[in-house]
Amino acid sequence: MALDNKILDEINELKRKYEDERSCLLPALYLFQREYGWLSPEALERVAEILNIPKATVKGVSTFYAMFSHKPMGRHLIQLCTNVACMIMGGERLLDILKGRYGLEPNLTTPDRRFSLVIMECIGACDTAPAMLVDTDLHGNLTEENIIGILERYE
Amino acid sequence: MITITIDGKKISFERPVTILDAARAAGIHIPTLCHHDILKPYGGCRLCLVEVEKVPKLQTACSQYVSDGMVVRTETEKVVDARRAVLEFLLINHPLDCPHCDKAGECELQDLAAKYGPAMGRFAEGKRRYPENLEDPLIVRNRERCILCLRCVRMCDDVQGASALSVTGRGSKSYIEPFSGGAYDCEYCGNCLAVCPVGAITSRTHRHGFRPWLMEKEVETVCSYCGVGCSLVLQVRNNSVVRSVPRSGLGLNRGLLCSKGRFGYDCLNYGDRLDAPLMRRNGVLERVTWTEAINCIADRMKEIKRENGSDAIAGIVSGRCTNEDAYVFQKFFRGAIGTNNIDSVAGMAYGPAQRFFEKILVQGVTANPIQGISDSDGIFVIGGDPTAINPVLGLQVRSASKKGVPVIVVGHPGGLKRYSKRAFIMNSAAETVFLAALVDEIKRRRPLPGERPVLEEIINGFRPAPLEDASKMSGFGPNDLVDTAHALSNMSRPSIIIGRDIVQTDTGHMNLLFLAALTYLLNGRIYLLSELPNEQGVLDMGCQPDMLPSGRPLTVETFRKRCEETLGIIIPPAPGLSYAEMTEAAHEGRIKALYVMGEDMVLGLPDSNYVRGALRNIEFLVVQDRFFTETAKYADVVLPALSWAEKEGSYTNLERRIQLTRKAVEGESIEEWKVISEISKTFGLHMGYRSAADIFSEIARVSQIYRELTLEGIADGKSVWPYRGGPLRYDMHTEGTKLPDIVSVMEESGMSGVHVRREAHLFHSQNASRYSPALLSITPEPHLKIGDILADRLSVKDGDRVKVSTDAGSIVLSARRDPCLPDNVVLASTFDGGGIFEITKWRVNPITKAPASDVNGVVIDKEEAITVLHKDRADSLVGG
Repeated sequence: MALDNKILDEINELKRKYEDERSCLLPALYLFQREYGWLSPEALERVAEILNIPKATVKGVSTFYAMFSHKPMGRHLIQLCTNVACMIMGGERLLDILKGRYGLEPNLTTPDRRFSLVIMECIGACDTAPAMLVDTDLHGNLTEENIIGILERYE
Repeated sequence: MITITIDGKKISFERPVTILDAARAAGIHIPTLCHHDILKPYGGCRLCLVEVEKVPKLQTACSQYVSDGMVVRTETEKVVDARRAVLEFLLINHPLDCPHCDKAGECELQDLAAKYGPAMGRFAEGKRRYPENLEDPLIVRNRERCILCLRCVRMCDDVQGASALSVTGRGSKSYIEPFSGGAYDCEYCGNCLAVCPVGAITSRTHRHGFRPWLMEKEVETVCSYCGVGCSLVLQVRNNSVVRSVPRSGLGLNRGLLCSKGRFGYDCLNYGDRLDAPLMRRNGVLERVTWTEAINCIADRMKEIKRENGSDAIAGIVSGRCTNEDAYVFQKFFRGAIGTNNIDSVAGMAYGPAQRFFEKILVQGVTANPIQGISDSDGIFVIGGDPTAINPVLGLQVRSASKKGVPVIVVGHPGGLKRYSKRAFIMNSAAETVFLAALVDEIKRRRPLPGERPVLEEIINGFRPAPLEDASKMSGFGPNDLVDTAHALSNMSRPSIIIGRDIVQTDTGHMNLLFLAALTYLLNGRIYLLSELPNEQGVLDMGCQPDMLPSGRPLTVETFRKRCEETLGIIIPPAPGLSYAEMTEAAHEGRIKALYVMGEDMVLGLPDSNYVRGALRNIEFLVVQDRFFTETAKYADVVLPALSWAEKEGSYTNLERRIQLTRKAVEGESIEEWKVISEISKTFGLHMGYRSAADIFSEIARVSQIYRELTLEGIADGKSVWPYRGGPLRYDMHTEGTKLPDIVSVMEESGMSGVHVRREAHLFHSQNASRYSPALLSITPEPHLKIGDILADRLSVKDGDRVKVSTDAGSIVLSARRDPCLPDNVVLASTFDGGGIFEITKWRVNPITKAPASDVNGVVIDKEEAITVLHKDRADSLVGG
């Protein structure tokens, strides 16, 4: 509830920025995903109620976008790129490292709910390929040696 | 002028239309799938592609508008190829399971594939497989058959305004889904399944039981659930109604229906219909012949008339009776029994409200066309949720709101939640004070028109409560009140929509006066919500204790005499008792015999135990009904009745449109009017009707307003007030209307504590819906709506059982939290055995004669058993 109040304050702030409540929908969904890590049916209903938008519409919008998750995720989201540049630079081999160290496979979450892994088709960091996003942090020039070190910083 | 050429035909238009409409005007058929006449152009299915000269690509006829000189070709090789390709794409994932699809035979995709489609697709990949979704009790979704034309979503969003469906996912993984992904949480209007061109959304009520080509007949008639009177078509096979559908372009509903109209027809086929008369012998109801039953009624009524006088006998008709039944009923009571003790459920609110407005404004003031609502420039709703009580009328409010028309609601907004600017929920006394304050604020902003001096005297003369006090009592700030008055003052032709709950309170008469003032000040149009299909009709037929047919007061001697001469009967000069007064009189033993036609009094009146007591006190009770209702349990004679689909007749809706109800199936009984004329014969009053048309022609003779109408003549559904006769002219007087005393309302209201108010339920009306398995499947039990603050205070969660108690008794309901509600108002609906009427006391409002039922000081407890259960579980968790 306390968390909800915090989000509520931020949504009220959003409402001031936009002309109508429908325009607040995507940012509001982001807020809930940021706080809870995913969009539960309850979260979608809450957004619908706060913004006075039909809940079916909210679901339609949120399921359209790949960046919203509709199942529980780990505390940290790894978005690893395996598109051309990253693949050539060894991105796919990093998958084996993640599997070996954390038992983590694409679209799944570690049993301790520490990490979730999603394979991305280009995150726009080809200059530092292979690259990944952990939550909102960009990590480039990954190697089989340094990737674990980076991830260990995320509890 | 725009002139275009389609397939070589030249055709001109004054205004731009779509190519599709132009082609239709030229008599040329263009195939469509996503297009639907009720919906806006969409251009999604690409099936209506046509060739337009000088435009390189094919154009969608449904969304492309014509321009002058355009040359269109609709069936060229290029077009046919494109259509074939589109169909091939649509069939990639379609299961082609026509043999067991409910849509087969009336499926637009099937027809198109037969006409244009390739016999075989070229796609080697497998089809998507999903099981049919059967989680919902009424609506089946089949994702495999769906072609994503979005007719359903557009219908739900743009027309119905429920927005319960949306497309989830993306690309090849797009599905039409309600929020839960399974069961619907919606208004169950079923308009989505009506517009689905394929078998993706179908009704469960006739699943695997409907084949369009096996229907034996289709009968156009009028729905019998509420006072809107939607046209519908009953499809019949083996003398049973298999489906009820609307037809676009037919009637005032133009292709739309609500949950009750679409699914509620199954009460016709309900197994436990009464099929023979019953008579009480040695305390037990036994099957008897019609002759025995009629003789018994005649003998007992004559005996009571002899011993106790005519006024010891009374009659109540249902608002579901046809005009013809109601007319014969009152003629029998006035002419044969010799009493004016006749009333109906319309006498509980609709009638008194109409009478009041007609008296103070003009006759026919409430007869306004429903379609006019969406053209008004403001809407004021009070006393009931139009989207629940009269759903198709409610759509007009939503449609106005979408155009930016301000909607202000006093009471729970219900289905207007997303469509109202403001909603003010409070207790009933506060509503009166609030209305008074509004009138007072508006009169400062709008000059009085000077047309009705007596009304203006009242508007100028009454003393409202100080704004501060009024706002404090209502629970809203003074600014809210002033802003609302300001918004209302800016309206020049608002619709004022009035529900029953504003009448059934101690201050009901004052509310009506303020609403009349509001209507007068704002140049408003009144719409009285009507919960039954023929409330207006039974009033017009004279089923009122003080009015003759066509709304003539029987105390005016000239009216009474003329009626007596036309009918050859003697009408007693003194008004009779109202529905509520009869119930009181029965309780006190003053009414010895009661004839109830089609009404379940235990369900229809507040304070069920009191009503049961009254029924027990009646010496001789006759109940004529389709079902063995709770009221019938107290009867001495029970007569089976026909349903509206089993007889000819007419209904008059809330806009005073008279419509024909046609016989669709044969019932196992005799028309009510026939039964009553048989009884009447034994009293020496021979009616001699052979058909409903006979009765109607007598009505047209007796009633000034129905003059020149015939039953065949009204079949087109276009007979709208003031018909051909014109309104009745007589002195509408306002004398005797006292200045409302707002100060005493505030002082005496005793409105502390929690107030329980009635929630008119979308899925249930009076008693007929209780016999519809379909409607019961979506709402099997009553519930209590409770605000978040109060719910938190009582630690009540959704679904918890709560005990609601008043001095009249207590009921246990399942709780539903509702963020709209303040902490001093809860809502409960009527329901047999456990609805709000079980705990509602009432007294007769001396002015409206309606039952006033203000329920204050309600005690709400979380049910003990559940609390203990929770406690045990909590203990075991702590212990573990």
